[in-house]
Order: sequence, then structure tokens, then C-alpha cells
Amino acid sequence: MKENKPCDDRFACFVQKLNFSGLTGTKIIFWLAAIMIASFVIGFGILAVTDGLSGTSPGKSTPFRHGSMLSPNITAIPLDGAAAGRIGITMGAGELSLSEGAPAGTLAEVTVFSRAPEWQPEYSQSLNGTIKALAITDPGHRGKEWFSVDSPNRWDIRVTDQVPVELSVALGAGDSTLDLNGLTLKRLSVSNGAGETTIDLGRYSKSPFTADIHNGIGDLTIRIPRTSSTRISVHQGVGDIDAKGLVQHDEYYSTNSYNPSLPANEILINQGVGDISIETV
Amino acid sequence: MLMNEQEFIRILRNRLEGTLARDELDDIVSDYAEHFRAGKESGRSDEELWRALGSPDDIAREIRAMHLVKKAESVKSCGNIFHAVLATLGLGLFNLVFVLVPFILLVVMLLVIFMLGVAFAVIGPAAFVFSVLQLAGSPAFAIWLNPVAGLFISIGITTLGLLIIIGDYYLARFFYRAGIRYLKWNIGVITGTEEAE
Repeated sequence: MKENKPCDDRFACFVQKLNFSGLTGTKIIFWLAAIMIASFVIGFGILAVTDGLSGTSPGKSTPFRHGSMLSPNITAIPLDGAAAGRIGITMGAGELSLSEGAPAGTLAEVTVFSRAPEWQPEYSQSLNGTIKALAITDPGHRGKEWFSVDSPNRWDIRVTDQVPVELSVALGAGDSTLDLNGLTLKRLSVSNGAGETTIDLGRYSKSPFTADIHNGIGDLTIRIPRTSSTRISVHQGVGDIDAKGLVQHDEYYSTNSYNPSLPANEILINQGVGDISIETV
Repeated sequence: MLMNEQEFIRILRNRLEGTLARDELDDIVSDYAEHFRAGKESGRSDEELWRALGSPDDIAREIRAMHLVKKAESVKSCGNIFHAVLATLGLGLFNLVFVLVPFILLVVMLLVIFMLGVAFAVIGPAAFVFSVLQLAGSPAFAIWLNPVAGLFISIGITTLGLLIIIGDYYLARFFYRAGIRYLKWNIGVITGTEEAE
């Protein structure tokens, strides 16, 4: 019969009760210590190799993104007295948010929620007559995202509401939210490879525009003013369409106020896979 | 108050009832009764013997303290050491400084270390999940400068937390034993026996 000895070292007895094939309390402590040291060495080693510790705020060496979300990188593009703007946005992967509200005298203000240099977009701007052109381009990351510092990509772009703009947005993969209510659009082009796209024009009241929206895989939500003169042409692969409050003729969905003899908003939607929701506001 | 053997025994029994087991109490009472009997045989009065022994209240406090310290020594538990410390406090007001203050500081220190260990042990797995989500490209969970490094560092944080908890347990055991020795020494100094057993 097994002798019942009083258990003084409760941790050792607890481990003994667990009956881990020969593991004792001491061995567990040694294993934990070894795992801890190895993990820290590898983790901080990766940071050191990828320049993660020195690539952030000077004097601070932590593995965390201290302040990068709180103090993002902001770039303002001046309008330079132009009477119109043309903005092209090309983003590989990430999250894009666009709305009105650029500071006075600027065409756009771009906020990138990463301070890592390799995640900053390239800016190309030119003034052609009275049109200020701006291209914001994601330089690409050549598949090194996993070992790169500050890998997530998020842009928040504010566009001027002082002059009419042509807007072209190309997003490889990710979610985009375009709040265009306050802008004066001349033309809109949106292309999203994969991800959810939301385009809010529900309170748009400026001059009529044409829009070309291509969405590969993902849901598309577009809001238009109920009282506007708008016609939407939809070409959809796989998915449902929800277009309450609109009048349908073949692939065309129109508001009740749509009049083909008057200037109207013309929107073309090409959707691959995913649901389309057209909301009238 | 009558200073006779019966009164002495009554007070002693009354103060120790509920703390000591019946047979232990009977043993102690019979020891003092024997002391009175032997004293009276040698011609000393009850009052003389009472004065020689000291107050039965003080004697009961000392016996109670020593009993609870020994109990805490044989059965290790938070409750037992707490009762032993409280009983020792009753031996003198200065023990508020020499026993209670160090005891509270030790308890607070052990609790802080334990909470630190628990915090690391909880934050580690959470940070690991954040690393995975960051690798998946979710900006909302991007707390790491480098998510792959984050995976390893979060494992390190978790194991560090577990080690702190285990270390705190052994630290508590060490201070428990040291505390028992200190309480025994303290009681010995107060009762004048020095080597209280």
C-alpha cells in the first residue's frame, strides 16, 4: 500500500498529481525559464535584426508601437490656388478612409497610421493650368510584411470641399469607406480587389457626377440622396442586390427624380462576388 | 478579587477554552494545579503562588500565542499564520511595530508580486492573440512593432508570469518559515524563556 506522506511543497505535489510523464516541479520551473529566455532572445533578436527597436522613438526601446496610433504621420498637400483637383489613390492592402475636411488652402490631408518609413505612401503632385493633380501611391512591400515594423496599413484622407475634384481610388485588398457628402465631385472611380467598400453620397447636393465602381470580391454599400436625379447601372457576378426605393429597368436602378433629359448622377457598378446594397437617404 | 488556586484555574481555563483542545487544556490546567499543590505543601499561600506565577490572563495569552504559532508551523495556511500574528500582538503593544507592520508589508509585497505574475500570465496570451491578428493584417490589434517578434515576446511574457507566480509561492513559503521562527523568538523574548518551545 502506498504511504500517504503529508505534502509540504504544494506546487511540487500539484505537479506530481498532474502526472506529466516524469516532470517534476523543478523540471517545470527549468523548462519555463528556458522557454522564457529563448522566447525573449528570439523576439528581441528579430526586433534587433529588423531594426524594430531603433526604428521608433529615439531613446525608447520597447517592442510595442508606442504612440504610432496616437501620433500618426500627417501630410498636407497644398492646393496652390488651383480651381480644381484630381486625386489618384493607389493602395496595395490596408484600410482606407476618405472624407471631406482638408484644411483651408490644401487639396488633401493624408494621415498614415504608421510612422515606419517603408509604409509611407509616395506623393506625386503637379499643377497643370488650373488643375492640381495629386497621386498617392503605396510603394508596395515586396512580401516582407511579416518581418516588417509597423506592418498594418491605414490611411485617413481628407479632401478639400473648396474646389471640384476628380477622385480615383484603387485598393488591392482591404476595406474602404468613402464619405463624399461634402465634396464637389466631377468624376469618381473606385476599384477594390477584395474587401468591403462603402460609398456614402446620401447627403450629396453638389454638381452631378459620373462614377465608375469596380468591386472584385466583397460587399458594396452605396448611399445616394433619395431626391437626387441618379441612375445606377449594375453588372454583378455572384451576390444579392438590395435597392429599396429605386426604380429598376433591366440593369438600371433609378431614383424617382431621375430625368434623362437633365444632368444626372450616373453610376456604373461592376461587382464580381458579393452583395450590393444601394440605400436611398 | 480572590487570589486563590480555584480563581487562577478558572480564569486560565476560561481564557484558553475554544483555542486549545480539551485534553491539551486539561494538561495545562493540571500542571498549574500541581504547581499550586507543591507550593502549598512547602508552606506558601495561594496569594504568594499567584504572585509568583503572574496574572492568569497574561499566562493564557502567552500559551495561546505559542499554541497558535505551533499550529501555524505544523499546518501551513494563511488563516493559521494570521491567527498566530494576532495572538502575538496581544502580548504587547510594541508588537504592533515589531510584528504587525512587517507582517502587513510582507503580505502586501507577496500580493503585489502575485498580481504582477497574474497580470503577465494574462497579458501574455492576449498579446499572442494580438500578434496573430496583426499578422492577419488587422490594424485595430497592431500593438507590436513586429508581429513575429510579438509572438515570441508574448510567449516570454506568459512564461515569465508563470515563473513569477511559482516564485512568489516559494517566497511566501520562505517568509512563512522565517515568520514562524521570528514569532517564536518574539514570544520567547516577551515571556523571558528566549527559546520558546
